[in-house]
Amino acid sequence: MSQALQHQTGDGVPAAPAPVAGRDRRGARWRGRVATWVVKLAGVLVTLSALELASRTGALPRQWFPPVTEMYAELAGLVVGLPLWVEVGRTLGGWAAGLLLATVLAVPAGMLLGASALAFRLVRVVIEFLRPVPSVALIPLAVLVLGTGLETKVFLVAFATFWPLLFQTIYGVQDVDPVATDTARSYGLGALARFGEVTLPSAAPYIATGLRIASAIALVLAVTAELVIGAPGLGQAIIVAQSGGAITLMYALIIATGLLGWALNAVFSAAERRLLHWHPAQRREAGL
Amino acid sequence: MTRRLAPVLLELLVPVAILVAFGLWSAQADSFYFPPLTEIAREFWNTWVFAGFRNDLLPSLGRLLAGYGASVVLGVLAGLVLGMVRIARTAAEPVIEFLRALPAPALIPFALLLFGTADSGKVFLIVLGTVWPILLNTIDGVRGVEQQQLDMAHSYRIPGYARLWRIVLPAAGPRIFAGMRTSLSIAIILMVVSEMVASRNGVGYFVLQSQRAFAIPEMWSGIVVLGVLGFTLNWLFLRFEDRFLFWHRGSKGLLSTDRR
Amino acid sequence: MLEVKALRKVYGSDAEAKPAVADLSFEVAEGEFVCILGSSGCGKTTMLRCLSGLAPATSGEVLLYGTPVTGPPADMSFVFQDYSRSLLPWMSVARNVAFPLRHKGFSAREARAATDEALQAVGLAGQGRSYPWQLSGGMQQRVAIARALAYRPRILLMDEPFASVDAQTRAELEDLLLRIWERFGVTIVFVTHDIDEAVYLADRVLVLSAPATVRHVADVALPRPRGQLETKRLPEFAGLRSELLSSLQRERAAA
Repeated sequence: MSQALQHQTGDGVPAAPAPVAGRDRRGARWRGRVATWVVKLAGVLVTLSALELASRTGALPRQWFPPVTEMYAELAGLVVGLPLWVEVGRTLGGWAAGLLLATVLAVPAGMLLGASALAFRLVRVVIEFLRPVPSVALIPLAVLVLGTGLETKVFLVAFATFWPLLFQTIYGVQDVDPVATDTARSYGLGALARFGEVTLPSAAPYIATGLRIASAIALVLAVTAELVIGAPGLGQAIIVAQSGGAITLMYALIIATGLLGWALNAVFSAAERRLLHWHPAQRREAGL
Repeated sequence: MTRRLAPVLLELLVPVAILVAFGLWSAQADSFYFPPLTEIAREFWNTWVFAGFRNDLLPSLGRLLAGYGASVVLGVLAGLVLGMVRIARTAAEPVIEFLRALPAPALIPFALLLFGTADSGKVFLIVLGTVWPILLNTIDGVRGVEQQQLDMAHSYRIPGYARLWRIVLPAAGPRIFAGMRTSLSIAIILMVVSEMVASRNGVGYFVLQSQRAFAIPEMWSGIVVLGVLGFTLNWLFLRFEDRFLFWHRGSKGLLSTDRR
Repeated sequence: MLEVKALRKVYGSDAEAKPAVADLSFEVAEGEFVCILGSSGCGKTTMLRCLSGLAPATSGEVLLYGTPVTGPPADMSFVFQDYSRSLLPWMSVARNVAFPLRHKGFSAREARAATDEALQAVGLAGQGRSYPWQLSGGMQQRVAIARALAYRPRILLMDEPFASVDAQTRAELEDLLLRIWERFGVTIVFVTHDIDEAVYLADRVLVLSAPATVRHVADVALPRPRGQLETKRLPEFAGLRSELLSSLQRERAAA
């Protein structure tokens, strides 16, 4: 899903079958890449200009939607100061702790359930019932038991990201090529060695995909916890700005949150591609 | 008979054990946060049969379905266009990537500002949060259509609208459904969160208000309602997907033989 | 009925790009069965795309009944090599066959009758409600042929239609095609890289060399109806076979 737009430079008309001189072809590819970037930039500029114009002309009421240039000016001011980074750090703290907790719990559990059909059958119904429960439904309970601080944020993030990680791990372990396992067995590798040499590397790409999906969900839950229960972080800063009437600041913080999500996704996608480059098999995404 | 029953019993063993254990423990624990299971069940019956159903669950469902439905229509239509027009796809990519990566709940204050606590704000928020997975998957699906199927249609002089409706759309179907499944979970989350932050009714509002009033059994009953809602919608979605995509699993050799 | 005049096709606008089809000219008479033989990569598929109106020619022209082909003509059907990708897996066999008919102006009843007749002609009567993926490869290609027939074409273009089925099925499909050809009186242009298949089926075999241009023409005067055993036993069959083989080998050596 996330790679939807990333591999689009290669399609189109069939390439000329005749070999072209190497330098020319490299030149053409370079020109193509420049053209793609120009089109992308134009797309961004047109969108921003349209919003700017809508705000300046009053098509979008200015007190609710200030010109984008003002939002970005505000953001530029925030980026050089410390407070924004403190909020980013708080959000990322809950994000990281929750994700780590979920990984530590879900990956071993997924390995067990993927390897043992009996264990999977025993807990299948429980999983099928718990997985679709919207994590945010647990906010009030978490507030009661854990308070309105970091613990609740971490719990919510961990609960929500546990499921994609669990299912990706199960898929990964179940998808290990039986020929590879048999080969390992025929070479006399013990169960533990087989696990380390065959199962773990085969399942790793699935877990990487699970981590990418989970990282996006984790950010959603971290921001939600901050918005709803007022745990400190970007989400709380946004709602404080809004209720205080600092509209431009609110938009600047929303943009900052979006950029954070975009950056996290870029990092995880890149890591996933590096893990996947040797792995020919199709990955299946377990979904949210 | 026992041979058919045994697997079912095996699968029900753990869930029943958990329920019984929790029921027994909560009955004697006298915990403020974890009231006895029987009390939650009684509260569930008192609150959610009739009154709560009409006052809170129906409004929630209405917003959810309106927002999700609009997302599906918008995402698929825009995905078809962007999937087929390469320059538009390239131009839209950075903006779409940004909006998809933006955690949707961060837009709640924005929706509050534009719409106040009206229903339209929540519908708007759900659309804004759920349209991207559908859009991106539709684009991917459209781009994955077999060229030979389009050539075939062209050689039989199938007009453009029929090529779109009978070939491009079904061929993109598996990806569209994958996006819709992701979006459904996001839609439920956004429904609950937007009701918690800015609403006067809805299940999310009910749960949070109960917690603030320390009406713990009520809160629990609301959480159960949300769980049942998520489970039911997911189940309905899978049945729906099964109906539309049985050919896909069939052609991939994943259909059990008793199906047809 | 079909005239190809000095057809040329170059992909891309690059001045140095080599053509896929160069100066190709031949004619096909009404009711004739012509096989076009060429090794892989000689531009057969590109040629067929130009003949069928799927791709425009760079220069030269294709005339069907004296009219230039600029898009897919109404009385032409195309059978693709890869049946698994030209059949639509979300439609039943009957729907696949009937799909083009409604857009050709058939009424629902006419479409159903034409579908039933075509499925019966390819030996798939009663399979209409199955889905393509429930059928074997050979049966799927029969569905593609039935779809082509139901369209009521006067000319049938076939792009290596039996290349990806096993030998036994292939022989069955060849005989099926010959029966259909005789029964429906349709003109067939059949592209293949298999010499035996070309000689067995055709009235005339054209040998192509890369870039696609006619290098050799062989008239096949073998008696009809043909049979896998009887026809292939004839000394004339063996003679044609070695004539075409040496022609192909000359082309390959020159290339």
